[in-house]
Amino acid sequence: MKRNITLGVILALAPVSMVLAASNNVGCGVGSIIFKGQSGVAPQILAVTTNGTMGNQTFGITSGTLGCASDGVVDTPAKVSMFIDTNMDKLAQDMSVGSGETLNSLADLIGIEDSAKTRFFSMTKAHFGEIVSSDRVVAQDVMAALNRLLAADQDLAIYARLG
Amino acid sequence: MCVGEKMRTIFRILCALGALCCHAVHASNEDYPAELIKAAHLQNLAETAQWRALLHYRTNAWTRGVTGQADDAKFYLAVDGKTNPNAELAATLRAFFAPSIIETDTTQHPQCLFVGRYHWLKQALHFDAQRLPEQTCPRFSAWRAALQPDMLTLVFPAAYINNPSSMFGHTLLRVDAVGQNEQSRLLAYAINYAANPQGEGGVTFILKSLVGLYPGLFSISPYYVKVKEYSHLENRDIWEYQLNFTADEIDRLLMHAWELGQVRFDYYFFDENCAYHLLSLFEAARPSLEFTRRFHGWVIPTETLRALAEEAGMVRKIVYRPADNTRLRFQLGQLNDNEQDWVAALAAGERVADDPGFTRQPSERQSVALEAAYKYLRHQYTAGDVDADSSARRSRELLLARSRLPEMRDSATPPTPQAAPDRGHGTVRLALAARVENSLDVYEVKVRPAYHDLLDPQGGYTRGAQINFMDLGLRHVEGSNRLELNELTVIDIFSLFPRDQFFHPISWKISTGYTHVGAPGEVPIALYRTHGGAGLAWSLANHTQVYGFAEVTADISGNLDKRYAVGGGASVGLYANPLDAWQVHFIAQAQELRFGARHREEFMMLEQSFALGQQQAIRVSVKRERVWNSTWSTVMLGWHTYW
Repeated sequence: MKRNITLGVILALAPVSMVLAASNNVGCGVGSIIFKGQSGVAPQILAVTTNGTMGNQTFGITSGTLGCASDGVVDTPAKVSMFIDTNMDKLAQDMSVGSGETLNSLADLIGIEDSAKTRFFSMTKAHFGEIVSSDRVVAQDVMAALNRLLAADQDLAIYARLG
Repeated sequence: MCVGEKMRTIFRILCALGALCCHAVHASNEDYPAELIKAAHLQNLAETAQWRALLHYRTNAWTRGVTGQADDAKFYLAVDGKTNPNAELAATLRAFFAPSIIETDTTQHPQCLFVGRYHWLKQALHFDAQRLPEQTCPRFSAWRAALQPDMLTLVFPAAYINNPSSMFGHTLLRVDAVGQNEQSRLLAYAINYAANPQGEGGVTFILKSLVGLYPGLFSISPYYVKVKEYSHLENRDIWEYQLNFTADEIDRLLMHAWELGQVRFDYYFFDENCAYHLLSLFEAARPSLEFTRRFHGWVIPTETLRALAEEAGMVRKIVYRPADNTRLRFQLGQLNDNEQDWVAALAAGERVADDPGFTRQPSERQSVALEAAYKYLRHQYTAGDVDADSSARRSRELLLARSRLPEMRDSATPPTPQAAPDRGHGTVRLALAARVENSLDVYEVKVRPAYHDLLDPQGGYTRGAQINFMDLGLRHVEGSNRLELNELTVIDIFSLFPRDQFFHPISWKISTGYTHVGAPGEVPIALYRTHGGAGLAWSLANHTQVYGFAEVTADISGNLDKRYAVGGGASVGLYANPLDAWQVHFIAQAQELRFGARHREEFMMLEQSFALGQQQAIRVSVKRERVWNSTWSTVMLGWHTYW
């Protein structure tokens, strides 16, 4: 009893925690299935926090080349795929709504001019069903669909060059 | 000067033609390190705040001199560099003369490895590029170019719901790139100081980190990775403090971050934590800040925010980034009961979005409900409460239905709370109280180094989260001629979060510490008590909650029969904020200690606090209690001040 309480106090006090379940997408990020990110990882009562631990996709500043990052910054060819892979749930939500920070950040990453953003946002909303064509799509599927749709849109065709 | 340069150039050209002279050039290069070391000595560079900041020297507490805080032999180039700033400076200057190398993932030239020291010394000593050739640093240059720094932002994830211990919090540093704005900050990079547990987890990790057995390292990742971690997985609101550093200062900070790349600092929760090390980065950027001298080791992250906010002109703008669940609750709050039922049914898959009963609603209401249902489903998935396959299918269906409705105004962004975390009360509290207890006058003084309790002024803190740490109380009882230790609460956590249709948190509490039980004037017993419980809370109205708890208590004391007492009981209570500055807590508790020294304890208490601004409060309470067979009342008036 007393030991458990002591343990409980230590757990509650500690600013640090078990590392979250190992990531399935450290590196280039092309493998995660939409809507199937980490599950069962929401902190519970007495769960200790991740304050002070190194998380996923986090690298030392001078760690050299690891996955698709060099010294901790993402290599240019992997930027879009890693962003989509990490943020697919949010991105899908923003596309269905037709606005949002995640979608806007993707537009910036692709290089879409501010003047063309509204069109890009409405395009992703109108074609949501094609972009997220099933509940099993991965980042590469989303990118391929976006590329196809960008190419087919005369105002946005110049941006259709996603790796 | 110019003539000298020319002469030397001509000399060199001549030398290149005849191998004989090379010896002479070599000799002059050999002199140059000594020359620089002498110049550095004359300027007292090793004693400057900048050198101190770059090398992480701290004045020794008990002896003369300084000690470097890096726990890594690679970081100090001189054998005694950790304690000898002069020797370290000389060794650093000599290292800069190393022959050129081809950089690899694991090797860099000292000028690149210690790029912050190099550029500062180059400026201070006006390096002669002829005699000390400057190396190209391809890796650093590529890294610096990728970051495109424009602004620094200190990022503070607030406490998460139902985990008051997370109030101690964390801070990280965001490097905002040129051209980014509030709609594209996700693309910035975040520099984080954290323990590297090397795959170990659980209790081992916690215990080892408390005593500094893990290396702490600086790391970097896209900000969206951190936002996902805090906003989505942990559901913590984030506060972003955009700071006014000059371009030169930002460069210095990044150069210094680069030199700290793989340098180990032992991670101590109670000594050198994340907030402390970020402050040391700020010092490298602007040595006059001298934050680490002010804070001596352990820093509560909110104190960092306060320190920055107090520097005139330092904070440019504060941005609030609500967590996913905060957005969800805000959307749910816009819906009536019927619409909330739709949200629950849609998320659970009991109804579908093309149900005529649903599509009959105005499209704006449908949008909010669909967005909320999607967020709720994602929340349940993250918590592990729903099946992966069916929830993925429903998630897509909900969004597809939403995409077919028109665009709407943003309904998911709640207003920014009035008080940012730096505006909250200071975490150190001094309390003076006068009580009439069992008809005796009692005077009490209490000091609490951290952190926040339910009745402390609310602004800047997470509602319903209490953590008192090392609260020490001394009292003087009428008729006695001494000040006695009344209580020492080691830790006291109370987490009160209401349940509703969507969220079903268990509220909980735990406290442990030395205290007295029994009426003053009779025979109060000093004992060490540990008390905990779990319960449920509900909102009656905005900012009014009722709760019920089941509890256990364990006492240890030489004054008790059998030296212990263990038992259980229950409590019910009401916690309300009739006004922002007025808080009320009523609690009734009964406990039956059935084992060891058997006895009953009961009390009822009404406690109220009135905040006078953020840093002072008045408390009043009335309490009626019965312990063993004596019954008595207490009336208390107290004054609290915070800093």
